[in-house]
Amino acid sequence: MREQDAYKDLSDLFRVEDNALPAEPFTRQVMGNVRRQKMMRRLVVGSLGLTGAAIAAMQLPQLFAEWAGVDKTVTEALTTAPTELSSAAVNQLSTLAMSNPMWLAIAAGASLCVFAVSAFERA
Amino acid sequence: MRSDPDLAHAAARGSEAAFAELVRRHQAKVRGMARRLAGSEATGDDIAQATFFTAWQKISSYAGGTFSAWICTICWREFLQWRRRQKMEIEFDETAEIIPFDRSAEQAEQRMDLTRALESLSEAQRVCVVLCVATGLSHTEAAEVTGWPLGTVKSHVQRGVALLRTRLENANVA
Repeated sequence: MREQDAYKDLSDLFRVEDNALPAEPFTRQVMGNVRRQKMMRRLVVGSLGLTGAAIAAMQLPQLFAEWAGVDKTVTEALTTAPTELSSAAVNQLSTLAMSNPMWLAIAAGASLCVFAVSAFERA
Repeated sequence: MRSDPDLAHAAARGSEAAFAELVRRHQAKVRGMARRLAGSEATGDDIAQATFFTAWQKISSYAGGTFSAWICTICWREFLQWRRRQKMEIEFDETAEIIPFDRSAEQAEQRMDLTRALESLSEAQRVCVVLCVATGLSHTEAAEVTGWPLGTVKSHVQRGVALLRTRLENANVA
């Protein structure tokens, strides 16, 4: 025997009392609260999202301006790089030669070897 | 007819219609339980409203099993919260005194014998009788809902049912 069978008669009495309660008004009220909560959540999330989007949109002009600036800087850097590099190389070489003439002799020897090899290959 | 777990899964995916069907199916049981625990129809319905609202918010945590037991657990917690708000917290034990409800004599007169007999039980007995006899939970489910030991629940149900029968017989004789 199930434990509930011992008091089935009493359970039936309670069930009759409960089933007499009208379901629809209560269900409507519950679902009304559920919809209200859903709407509130959408409103909060939506307004926060819109605020965020508005702030992001306000940042866009500044972002584009900085992006154009970077582009200009890169272009300028690329244009002036060869000149700067060659002048820097000459400067460094003269500095090196002045500080130790041996480096100049080594460089001259290396250049002579390269020239000789290339001359023989041509022949 | 769709099963309760099916409806609960649909509700967890956002189906209001599925949840409304669950409310329709279980509202009588939950309202009956809340009304009997609170001892007031209006308060009971408020607790039942809060129960279904919480159930909607936590529906994704329903992991199968008896939906009745799940919703009754929420109802029990809502009832306890209401009790705390009312600052009427008492210990549920064997020696608990009968808690008189704040109800006018006229209202009490209108109530059925069954409800009056239920109100004459001790708090702990009434809780166990409401959960097991009126709401239809098994003793194990009632023990899980309340967090009380299974033996305690069984003993309260047994004594409560015996007292309820005596009161009803006396009322019928009178």
